[in-house]
Amino acid sequence: MSGQGAVGGGQGWDALSQASHWDAKTRELVLDRVHNVPPIRFFTAEEARTLRAFCDVVTAQDGEPRIEVLNYVDEKMFEGRLDGFQYADMPDDRDVWRQVARHLDDEAGGSYADAAPELQRAICSLFADGRLDWELPVDKAWKVVTRGILSCFYAHPYAWNEIGFPGPAYPRGYSALGVDGREQWEPKE
Amino acid sequence: MKPRANDSAFLLDPHRRGVPGVERMRRYRDEDEVDLLIVGCGAGGGVLAQRLARRGWRVVVLEEGPFWDPDRDWVSDEAGSHALYWTRKRIIGGGDPVEMGKNNSGRGVGGSMTHFAGYAPRFHPSDFETKTREGVGADWPISYWDLKEHYEELERELPVAGQHWPWGDPHRYPHGPHPVGGAAECAWRGARNCGIEMRMGPVAITNGQFGNRPHCIYRGFCLEGCKVNAKASPLITHVPDALEHGAEVRADSMAVRVEIDDSSGRVTGVTYIHDGRERFQRAAAVAVAGYSIETPRLLLNSTSARFPNGLANNNDQVGRYLMVQGASQLAARFPEKLRMYKAPPPEVSSEQFYETDESRGFARGFSIQTVSPLPIGWAEHVIAEGHWGADLRRHMADYNHWSVLGMLCELLPLPDNRVTLADEPDDYGMPVARVDYTQCDNDRANIAYAKRVLREIWENAGAEEIFSIDRYAHLVGGCRMGFSPEDSVVDADHRAWEVPNLFITDGSVCPTQGSANPALTIMALASRLAERLDSGRARAGNGSFAAVARG
Repeated sequence: MSGQGAVGGGQGWDALSQASHWDAKTRELVLDRVHNVPPIRFFTAEEARTLRAFCDVVTAQDGEPRIEVLNYVDEKMFEGRLDGFQYADMPDDRDVWRQVARHLDDEAGGSYADAAPELQRAICSLFADGRLDWELPVDKAWKVVTRGILSCFYAHPYAWNEIGFPGPAYPRGYSALGVDGREQWEPKE
Repeated sequence: MKPRANDSAFLLDPHRRGVPGVERMRRYRDEDEVDLLIVGCGAGGGVLAQRLARRGWRVVVLEEGPFWDPDRDWVSDEAGSHALYWTRKRIIGGGDPVEMGKNNSGRGVGGSMTHFAGYAPRFHPSDFETKTREGVGADWPISYWDLKEHYEELERELPVAGQHWPWGDPHRYPHGPHPVGGAAECAWRGARNCGIEMRMGPVAITNGQFGNRPHCIYRGFCLEGCKVNAKASPLITHVPDALEHGAEVRADSMAVRVEIDDSSGRVTGVTYIHDGRERFQRAAAVAVAGYSIETPRLLLNSTSARFPNGLANNNDQVGRYLMVQGASQLAARFPEKLRMYKAPPPEVSSEQFYETDESRGFARGFSIQTVSPLPIGWAEHVIAEGHWGADLRRHMADYNHWSVLGMLCELLPLPDNRVTLADEPDDYGMPVARVDYTQCDNDRANIAYAKRVLREIWENAGAEEIFSIDRYAHLVGGCRMGFSPEDSVVDADHRAWEVPNLFITDGSVCPTQGSANPALTIMALASRLAERLDSGRARAGNGSFAAVARG
């Protein structure tokens, strides 16, 4: 891997190798997630360019294979699958994402996507620490976008491989529950 | 141990998870004046429907969400379970806003219990009289002893598994304790090392075959809807028996107004949206069971000449005294592989700190429970510690070495923690709820103390690194029961003080919350209400079911 780079290495495990053990409904959902990456329909091309770069910085993705986090975020926004709450001093989550895109470009002096990786990370660091002066509360905006990013990134089997999570577990279940317990088919050390 | 009057577990199909007989379910017409119309098919509404249908009442339940079929609708996947949560917008404000959605709000037949972790403890006797005992919170107009037999019956119906319970009113459970996974083992070791007692359970998960419900398979997806039919929710514990006895559960039906006859001051039925069309179901009485946000929202939206500020709200009590529990979580890293995704997240818990101990410097207390988030939930812990980018990926790759403990701090009922209506309408044209929440000093002291105890447990377990995240869990209050129209919305029989044939039968009636997960208590309250309605004790009736409910 170059740096963190490609997703999925480390534990020598491929969650998808177990797909035949999953129930049909779950298998269909997860394989569709992997093989049919949704197109960008909610964000403009310009917003998507900025936000894709930002998603890659937050998830340290700079190689292949990669998880197209923004496409999954876009699908949620497009379909209005939001999380069920909005802070009183914040706009709708969909507007938060758009405003964040605009502010990231401003912070980068034009285009966040075209900025040097060091500058991208420096801006992200200020954002994470709430040390940017935007018209919306920066700490809450960080929570909105990172919640969206993480819920898409760690929904993907490549990310499961990297953390040693076997993925769906129905109908097989588990039997080796104790400390250092491992099912025969589970990731080895 | 077979429940006395609930065949749900035996009515289920051993080979399919969906509720049999949905297509054959009795149907009522909108023009039929049913004996009782219930809004919401969760812990409160589901139990009330089952109890009264069995006693011959003509019952319809309106449920906003779908009639779930776990085989067809649910997945063994964290991100794919979004539809289980009530994710319609709520505006959150106050000094300590409470995040909603997947954490505390459900939809569909079975309600939030379809995705609750599974902990099913009872309240303690002290919870019903905190004002008298300790000068904080509120007294209930009923006591623990009014609910005890209902707790026992529901523990048989769910069923609840656990060790002998030494706290509160000590009791046993019908199913023995589940085995403990590696992550919970570490927590228990730490607790033992610093003199804190923990017990396995109590969890509403079958340990062994129960009717046609199979044994738990320990796959860890309790919060994503149990595809096994091992974890309890009203969908499988009460709805099958309700249907068998002629109740109708009308899914995909969003109640938007409880209607009232302004001359008599009595409720006449509920206006609801089904398939995009507004309809009106007539009823002799209405029981609202939409939980602590949607119940106040529905009442506040039901305005009339007699109730210009919302139904049953002429004393400005609807929506007040909303409560959540302080539910910070502390995670700890160990050298061994713990694989916390295995086994149910709810495993062992402690109520040793539940009651007031004056030496701590605050009133009331907290409980301690294992949690065990799946990867997306775990990522929220990691980013809350300030890790992103390469740092985030590195910490996440360590997932299998972590164990997580949560706490449930009893936060006190305060009048300004409340549900109101925001200006913004939802898809149905109904104003969305605004939820304001601010902690008091006692709350802050309780949470800070509990976090120190959790840290002590992890340090005594040999943790190499500890993460901490602040959050809330559960909802109760918002339409509390009390002693007079000036201090509450409903009386001891869940009847609105201001409307004789309107009942509220969900967690919103609770005047206090203890440090217990509320599901079992909500069910027990509904069970008690059913018994009182049917026997006419709630208000002397003239013989017919409808007359009893009508008051």
